[in-house]
Amino acid sequence: MLAILDTAVISGLRGELVHVEVDMAPGLPGCHIVGLPDAALSEARERVRSAIRNAGFIYPLSRITVNLAPADRRKHGAAYDVAIAIGILLASEQLRASGGSWALLGELSLDGSITPVRGVLPMVATLREAGHRRVCVPTGNLPEARLVPGVEIVGAQGLDDVARLVAGPRGRTAAAARRRTAIRVSGDRGAEDAETTQGSRRPDADGVTDLADVRSQEHARWALEVAIAGRHNLLLIGSPGAGKTLLARAVPGLLPPLADAEASEVSVIRSVAGLDVAGAERHQRPFLAPHHTASYAAMVGGGPHLRPGLVTQAHHGVLFLDELAEFDRNVLDALRQPLEDGSVEIVRAHGSVAYPARLQLIAAMNPCRCGWHGDPVRPCRCPTGEPERYLRRVSGPLLDRIDLRVVMPRLEPETLVEPAAPEPSAVVAARISSAWRFALARNGGRANALLRGRLLQRACAMDRPARDTLTDVARSLDLTARSVHRAMRVARTIADLRGSSTVTAEDILAAASLRDRSMEAPIAA
Amino acid sequence: MTGLAIDERTAWIALAASPGVGEVTFERLLALHGSAGAALEAVSRLRSGGADGRLASALGMRTRSGLVASIRESAADPGRAIRRMTELGGWVLTPLDPGFPTALHALADPPLVVFGLGSPASLQDARAVAVVGTRHATSTGRAIASRIGARLAHAGATVVSGLAVGIDAAAHVGALDAGGQTVAVVGSGLDAPGPVGHRRLARAITAHGAVISELAPGVAATQGTFPRRNRIISALAMGTIVVEAPARSGALITARHALEQGRTLLVAPGRPLDPAVAGCLALLREAPARPLVGLDEMLVDLELEEAGAATPEGYAGRLSRDGALALLGGPERAVAEALGVGPRTLDDLVRASGQAPGVVAAALTLLQVRGWARVLGPMQLPAGPLLVPRTGDTMKAVATG
Repeated sequence: MLAILDTAVISGLRGELVHVEVDMAPGLPGCHIVGLPDAALSEARERVRSAIRNAGFIYPLSRITVNLAPADRRKHGAAYDVAIAIGILLASEQLRASGGSWALLGELSLDGSITPVRGVLPMVATLREAGHRRVCVPTGNLPEARLVPGVEIVGAQGLDDVARLVAGPRGRTAAAARRRTAIRVSGDRGAEDAETTQGSRRPDADGVTDLADVRSQEHARWALEVAIAGRHNLLLIGSPGAGKTLLARAVPGLLPPLADAEASEVSVIRSVAGLDVAGAERHQRPFLAPHHTASYAAMVGGGPHLRPGLVTQAHHGVLFLDELAEFDRNVLDALRQPLEDGSVEIVRAHGSVAYPARLQLIAAMNPCRCGWHGDPVRPCRCPTGEPERYLRRVSGPLLDRIDLRVVMPRLEPETLVEPAAPEPSAVVAARISSAWRFALARNGGRANALLRGRLLQRACAMDRPARDTLTDVARSLDLTARSVHRAMRVARTIADLRGSSTVTAEDILAAASLRDRSMEAPIAA
Repeated sequence: MTGLAIDERTAWIALAASPGVGEVTFERLLALHGSAGAALEAVSRLRSGGADGRLASALGMRTRSGLVASIRESAADPGRAIRRMTELGGWVLTPLDPGFPTALHALADPPLVVFGLGSPASLQDARAVAVVGTRHATSTGRAIASRIGARLAHAGATVVSGLAVGIDAAAHVGALDAGGQTVAVVGSGLDAPGPVGHRRLARAITAHGAVISELAPGVAATQGTFPRRNRIISALAMGTIVVEAPARSGALITARHALEQGRTLLVAPGRPLDPAVAGCLALLREAPARPLVGLDEMLVDLELEEAGAATPEGYAGRLSRDGALALLGGPERAVAEALGVGPRTLDDLVRASGQAPGVVAAALTLLQVRGWARVLGPMQLPAGPLLVPRTGDTMKAVATG
């Protein structure tokens, strides 16, 4: 007998429909999976066999052929286990499909229970597009799958749950009496699974600083406000203890919420990356702070299944790189494409995939290796030329894509002790939010940082004194064409924060100051 | 030797520019042969094979191997160093020339040749003052050096230093900011003077003073060249000021030279026990040096100005600090006033002026565009007319700033 079921596979950020065909024929007993399976999928054979037996069914002694169509596309992962197992049960007539049409997703354990898989959100969306109205997913993926509207989602914990579903209310399944329970030595595995796959990688609420707790650093606070309001990339340079990391930790509390369309994109990325989807606040912008030992593959994405990397996980959000100069050179250079194009392309022998990566980069670094270059009191012990060399570890093209560069002085003890009431995050976030709305409405949904060419000229309406000032500043500070455009974009944001549609001379001057040039002009020694 | 008679001056420069020829070798060659031209000719006539050894025994001293070949090469093209300097737009002075700096004649070991870019006359300022200090400077130290440089320039004195990063560069920049004259003595050939990052500064100094070296173009800096050029720095100046020198700083060598040459030595004190100024404190304790306590006192100690004297001539026709402040609009003026005598961080200015960070940032850019302020790492410094002092304006403000 032949059984055909539908399931889905992840390709990039999209799901693709896959038909699982199971044929049972007389011959030497055995199971063959065809249709370009990868290693994990070939092993499905063994998992399915054990799962069927341990769930109380009988593994048929026939020649079983499983075909995954379309046959020319490479399939990976274990999300087909359930479909294959149910296919075998149908083909061996242990089960009659009287419960209507179902699409099945899930990985099997040897005891017949179903474990969650990554990418459920886009897979369910694909199944819906293919006309499926009912999808069975692992219980652990239930909240995520329910984000897709218009589809009936049922969660299954074990193979017998799925069998009952497929058989329908009046159908029959194998006697539960034959079901075997596993001997458990290390506690309840189900709970652990939920913990590891659904474990959140975003900083918990405790990790977020409120700006009310950031002492002094008025200039850097303002720079951060401008950066977030216009989604400008920002580099904070400062000695150890200046508060760079503390300030960056305030970012999540300042980001405006995601728009609905953006939230959907972010949810899909999180699903494919195997991160918690439904548990996360869906409209919270991503904020990722990887350690400086992050590898190229972790940053860009890749691996055997071309998983999305950090730049993609930070899509529509912020990627915070602390100790920027300590990252591997090739990891930093890999940021150039995402920062320029808003996407990243991963090319491998078995195919390529383009992931979205419209991220905002916020980075922090010491001014030199010892950290004290430029400190008012403590001398820098680096050899001559070392501070310049240290900055050069971050390549010019990358620095060029960072609109704002701010030097943070070390805090004087008295500023830490003095009573002060800095603005709390909520107040700053409200200003950012209104500037953001103002800019997006004018720019047609584009952040100021993305304005180029004609769009920039149109958005950045300057009055006469502003134009003259820009010319003056460009001439006396020796600005390149690129720097002039950068100043215009930033000035646009500063005007937006005031709620002004015209860019004034003051905005231009303030914008020019947000690009510290002390590193480029060592004449000041 | 081509046999063409070359003048003694060209021969002198060619011989001095030969790698391996130092003051002692030069002197003995001159004593042996009577003139540089004769020495060049005689050495290049030596038969090959053991020529180095024979020359060494003739001179009665150990010489570098390859010395004969090196001199022979110079003799083949004696005009090379001069030509190279002409290409660079510079000049060459020997003790034979009337323009040779008088101060250097008096040295026990005067440079054989002075290669220079810019104005040779700037080496003849009897009121010149040297400002030296560590390369590993704090930004406070650089700010102090910069203000000293500016004040000396206002008083009409040429500021002499070594073009190194840190204190040296800050002193040069201070003098240039104040529109004064400054001289850099470097420890390498003039085709690549000073650290790579200071090429622009070197050009600026060339335009408003001179960059000089006793080394021929093409000679790279080595460990020994820096301490040696320090004797020239101190000799060109009638007084030397040491700012921020840790123990074992090269600036201490300059200070020692200054004392040996009978020059005035002023030392900027710092906080006791601070390793960044350990060298300065040791000088104050052990050497006949005066502490530098204020800019007015500095001018008095250097005898550049009478105590309590009126605005020096250097200021005539210049925009003063008060005049400059009067030209500024409300917020800019508040920020410029908060900037005081610097250095200040942007955050200091936000607090002191009571203006929003964006306003302070805009005001500072305006001041920078006008050349009235400059950035130094995380610190902001006043420049140009804002530095024109008022009476009673002392270094104390800097030290506590």
